[in-house]
Amino acid sequence: MPTLVVTEAQAEDLVYQLAAPTPWGRGQRAACFAARMSGLYLSLDGGKTWETAYRTLNLTEPLPTLCVALSPNFKQEPSVFAGYNGGVLRSLDGGQTWENSLFSAPPPAVVALVASPNYAKDGLLFAGTLADGVLYSADRGAHWQTGNFGLIDMNVLCLAISPGFEIDRTLFAGTQSGLFCSQNAGRSWREVALPIGYEAIISLAVSPTFAEDGALFAGTETQGLLGSTDGGQHWQQLGQPTLSNSINQILLSPDFPREPHLLVLHEGEVFISMNSGAHWRRWPETLSGNTTITNVLTPRGFGSGAPVLIGLEDGRTLRVLA
Amino acid sequence: MPKSQSSWQSPGVKFHPTLQRGFQRGVNQLVNAIRPTLGPRSRNVVNQPMIQGKMPEFLDNGAVIARRIIMLPDRVEDVGAMYLREMLWKVYEEVGDGTATAAVLFHAIYDQGLRYIAAGGNAMLLRRHLEHAAQILLEALNGMTRPLSGQPALAGFAYSLCQDADLANALAEAFDVLGAEGRLEIRAGRSQKLVLELFDGLYWDGGLLNHTMAGYASSKILLTEPAFLITDLEIKEPEELVPLLDLACGAGIRSLILLATRMSDKALSLLLLPANRQHIQVVPVKAPSDSASLRECLEDIAKLVGGRPLLAATGDRLEAVRLENLGYARRAWADKEYLGLEAGQGDPRQLRQHIAELRRAMDRADEADVRQHLQKRLSRLIYGSAVLWVGATTPVALEARQELAKRTASAVRGALHEGVLPGGGVALLNLKLVLQEKVRQAQDMDEIVAYKILLKAVEAPLRTLLTNAGYRPETILAEMAHCPPDHGFDVMGGEVKDMVQAGIVDATSVVKLALGKAIHSAALALTVDVLIQRANPPMGLKPQ
Repeated sequence: MPTLVVTEAQAEDLVYQLAAPTPWGRGQRAACFAARMSGLYLSLDGGKTWETAYRTLNLTEPLPTLCVALSPNFKQEPSVFAGYNGGVLRSLDGGQTWENSLFSAPPPAVVALVASPNYAKDGLLFAGTLADGVLYSADRGAHWQTGNFGLIDMNVLCLAISPGFEIDRTLFAGTQSGLFCSQNAGRSWREVALPIGYEAIISLAVSPTFAEDGALFAGTETQGLLGSTDGGQHWQQLGQPTLSNSINQILLSPDFPREPHLLVLHEGEVFISMNSGAHWRRWPETLSGNTTITNVLTPRGFGSGAPVLIGLEDGRTLRVLA
Repeated sequence: MPKSQSSWQSPGVKFHPTLQRGFQRGVNQLVNAIRPTLGPRSRNVVNQPMIQGKMPEFLDNGAVIARRIIMLPDRVEDVGAMYLREMLWKVYEEVGDGTATAAVLFHAIYDQGLRYIAAGGNAMLLRRHLEHAAQILLEALNGMTRPLSGQPALAGFAYSLCQDADLANALAEAFDVLGAEGRLEIRAGRSQKLVLELFDGLYWDGGLLNHTMAGYASSKILLTEPAFLITDLEIKEPEELVPLLDLACGAGIRSLILLATRMSDKALSLLLLPANRQHIQVVPVKAPSDSASLRECLEDIAKLVGGRPLLAATGDRLEAVRLENLGYARRAWADKEYLGLEAGQGDPRQLRQHIAELRRAMDRADEADVRQHLQKRLSRLIYGSAVLWVGATTPVALEARQELAKRTASAVRGALHEGVLPGGGVALLNLKLVLQEKVRQAQDMDEIVAYKILLKAVEAPLRTLLTNAGYRPETILAEMAHCPPDHGFDVMGGEVKDMVQAGIVDATSVVKLALGKAIHSAALALTVDVLIQRANPPMGLKPQ
């Protein structure tokens, strides 16, 4: 039975995304970021207290930050990337100072950011934008270019990258009309046929052992959760009728599929499955049903006692122990 | 010369067996001229030039060789040769390759079929069984097909077709990015090198309606977040444009691409007035000039950018333009020849449905030119395009290399679309298992003979390929009989290997078409019993 310890942070706006480095530090070294309507926020105590990460930008008004990504090797290279309606801000010092990446006009609205699992060597980053498709940077976010060959739908809502990207060069883009796959590191894209027609894909998750199991999950806007076990060639709907509407986020346990646990954010509530999506229940049970959850962060997985950060529609961030 | 011979001057009727023997001799002449070109270790055929003193023409393409052979001295032989020529040309037009294979298959089937008929077999029944077998074999080839993907595999396949490493690598890079449907143009380069240019976005023929708009400093107008108005109306009076300008300015639009078939100078001058250009930059662009596909082109662009085109057929008037008629893109450009755009803002679901419909139409189409037309439309809808600038040392070499690039590109595209089969004649050889089973199941003699004819025929391309390379077919076939399926003989390396793993593959579309056409054409030819000859028929050079 999960134990709920609620620690609220003062905030006044919507939480778009929470992010934390892997592995997550402990106590005062447990850094995490929250992309919010009013900007990017940084916590150095595991989400108990927050402060703006944009202090050095001297902004005169809030800068809504739609997404955030951290370098996979954050301990050695503390890079933070923040996507906003205008481009990407880059910090190379863990969020202390920032620089604006350059984009050709008109500037893009960046709603998704992912870093290559091999970022330490290749410096590759991918950005999903609302009207300009997918952009990529091969120099750690300094310069960006479009990678849209074959991408029929330029309204990219989410991105997911294969853990074996160094070898399989595979990544997925969820768009307003469906799913696209690239197998050449984002140079070009192909449509992925889904059994539900042209439906918006708003969340994605790829199995940590994708190269072996081909497991891939896609969250739709109105038709629940889809799962594939062959790299996206065939799909089935999971969790019906419980999960029948929007799936805003999908998380897999770090030991997936050995521990076949999935967490999804469905219509503002979190549901958990302990068997690869066959059965679902609300999670955590002790969380009030009146709160609308907008993002979930499980920096140490779903195990008992693991800390979970929950971003809410009213701007608060809750810290829960699983 | 043929026309001076009396046989060509008088009409006549030819019957069996004179007809069949003559027909067969004509076929044999054509096939024997093409046979040496089959395989990677093939030889050339030389064509004597029409004008004395000119360099002879070196040919390695079966359909082109067939096309050079016209009006054999013997009229009956000529009919046989022209019949085969027609079939080979259709194969060439459709897939650009496989003509030598088709010729060799045709010959093997026709030759054996004739012997069976001469021994008393029924030609019509034989034809029926052969055509039925063709369906079975084509399905079996589908079952053996694998996808072609990844730049190394594409380069290997392209190289096997063109034997030009630079060209193969450039095409592989292009198609790895563009996919089977992307737009690739092959143009004569300005230097001796091969240069591949990849472009974001899409573009169409057309260009600025007024070339002075391009200015002198730059040849291209670039627009950011432009609106689009698409119309096939001719704009004659400046007054017609006023409602559009008011509408766009009122909606806060700063730039507008106006795609129209024609615009008078008076109307253009309104757009060029500095007072108007202060508020909004309107760039008039020519709608594509091929009026047969104008409506389709406008429909395609409208799907990309959104908005409803104003069309003469639906009684639309420019004066009645509304916001719903406007589409949008993130960026657009126009110069003297082209209109381009990046990230059209049309409804992506509608666009994908439109693309899916075009794909279905392409799959249903029987005619090669209809498929090519649909392919062209698709390539202007799928984001991204490329130009391959082909260079060579001399104009003649340039023309040949350009032609080679186009043929290879067409074959690579077909392979991407339909997949590949084990090469080196192995895919056809693998059909023997299916045919042997069919022989066991066959009910009557004509059916058994049909399958047995095909059993021998499917070996013919491999035997020819081996002979051309200087090997004894019996020895190699005996060695291959003990190997797993998909194993064949690499004539370049001189050893038996798994052809797919070695990258020695053939486009499924080519193998299927060559086999299908050869069987159907040979089966039909076997039923010909009478030839009616005209007096002095007019000379035609091109296959109809």
